[in-house]
Amino acid sequence: MAVQDEQKVSFQIEGRSYQGIREESLLGALRRYGYEVPSLCYHEAVSPYGACRLCLVEVQKGKRRKLTTSCNYPVLEGIEVFLDTEKVVSTRKMVLQLLLAQAPEARSVRELAEEYGVTDTPFKKDEGNACISCGLCARVCKEIVGADAIGFAGRGLGKRMVSPYDETNQACIGCAACVVVCPTDCIGLKEENGIRSIERWHRDLPMKNCKVCERPFAPTFQLNHFADQIGVEKSHFDTCPNCR
Amino acid sequence: MEGPNVFAARLFPQDNFFVSGHRACQGCAEVLAVRMVHQVLGRNTIVASATGCMEIISSSYPDTAWAIPWIHVAFENSAAVASGVETGLDILMKKGKIPRRRIQVVGMGGDGATADIGLQALSGALERGHNMIYVCYDNEAYMNTGIQRSSSTPFGAATTTSPAGKQSQGQSTWKKNIPMIAAAHNIPYVATASPSYPFDLVAKVKKAMKVKGPAYLHIFSCCPTGWRMKPELAIAIGRLAVQTGSFPLYEIENGKLEINLPTPELRPLKDYLKPQGRFRHLDDATIAEIELRVQAEYRKLERRQGQVL
Repeated sequence: MAVQDEQKVSFQIEGRSYQGIREESLLGALRRYGYEVPSLCYHEAVSPYGACRLCLVEVQKGKRRKLTTSCNYPVLEGIEVFLDTEKVVSTRKMVLQLLLAQAPEARSVRELAEEYGVTDTPFKKDEGNACISCGLCARVCKEIVGADAIGFAGRGLGKRMVSPYDETNQACIGCAACVVVCPTDCIGLKEENGIRSIERWHRDLPMKNCKVCERPFAPTFQLNHFADQIGVEKSHFDTCPNCR
Repeated sequence: MEGPNVFAARLFPQDNFFVSGHRACQGCAEVLAVRMVHQVLGRNTIVASATGCMEIISSSYPDTAWAIPWIHVAFENSAAVASGVETGLDILMKKGKIPRRRIQVVGMGGDGATADIGLQALSGALERGHNMIYVCYDNEAYMNTGIQRSSSTPFGAATTTSPAGKQSQGQSTWKKNIPMIAAAHNIPYVATASPSYPFDLVAKVKKAMKVKGPAYLHIFSCCPTGWRMKPELAIAIGRLAVQTGSFPLYEIENGKLEINLPTPELRPLKDYLKPQGRFRHLDDATIAEIELRVQAEYRKLERRQGQVL
């Protein structure tokens, strides 16, 4: 992608000068230049949300220096970025303790915590939970899939990611992009006896069998949805990609 | 089972470190696998590459397709060089000459560089427990020199050094099981993958990056030129290889074996052999013999599912 000159800004990371694109995500720029910043809720394909608070950095802008999440902080002219300062690391450890309390079942959280030497949490654990309420699944469902089938319900401590009213939503096409993107693997996908079920959203969709090789390859509901979307006969998707 | 493959494609990492302009053949699945592996491995990677197709097509002077540090080494020692780089980096970091951060060291080679010529170097690197990934891109023969047989060539395949004719049925030996040889070193992670199942491949590369110690990836790389088949079938053939059981996708994590795409009912092997010219000469009796062996191997794998090897 060609970047126009007026879009370019120069800024500093750990005292070294870099050129970035105005208002792009600071975390994206840091990763592009090979710096490692941990995060769970950031994905370059969707808009940043700043939910997991792990991508903390210190940013100095003029005389003010503050702690901020880098995923939703824009790259601006003349800012100075500091990674892994004492303040960043101690705050990140606190965030990890909170995440451990919120989602003790999440393997990725436990592994990251271990890397930072955090093994236990002083906060009350929400036993059995693996979801960190980062909303990445909902952002992907809305921005990439265009289905917008899931969202947050409740507020504060009761905030959780559900399908509307925690029931089956007909808008869900069972593409399982949410399962792929989930940083803590807490959604759950099963394909058994010709039915794809996404447990968390209570969605069970029968799979279509290929006309030629007679193997299930995608949910019938999803294929009909695509046929309607691109305006072809429903029989267009009778065969699997292999036999087509 | 194809899995969630519709929108997840847009969630693939976008930055390429193996870039366009290389000289791979049409329909080369190996180059696709290399690109995908390095999309996941990211920028902080150093590659030691053995001689082979991927070296020939990516680095003809004065061009290069690599946007990351890449070392071309002799046929036999990519694993040895990768382990040396890993040790060197570790020592420089210990002495404080370079800042401590995670730099992934990768050794790569084709099936010839892995199964035949570089096996001792690979075995040494795995045994010493270096924190590196070794990736074998298996296209089942020495393709860049003109399709000579390797020990990874499957039974019955015609190559220029195992030609099919009146006296010969093509390759007369069975494919060497390199992933299991790697697993026998008791390393933390061994997996087989295929670019026809990109999300499975991505997940496996991510796992390989996470483990402390050596990880071995064996990637099925369809070669339309050497396999005498239509280039547009490269991805379909990769799927058929998995569905017929001739290249099952599995991983061995800390000794525990798991089949990732279980296929309880295997497809007839003929579906996989028929589109390939290298198997054109096989009669039904030989195909049945091969099928028996392939299915027996797959059932053996199934029996070991979930067990600690």
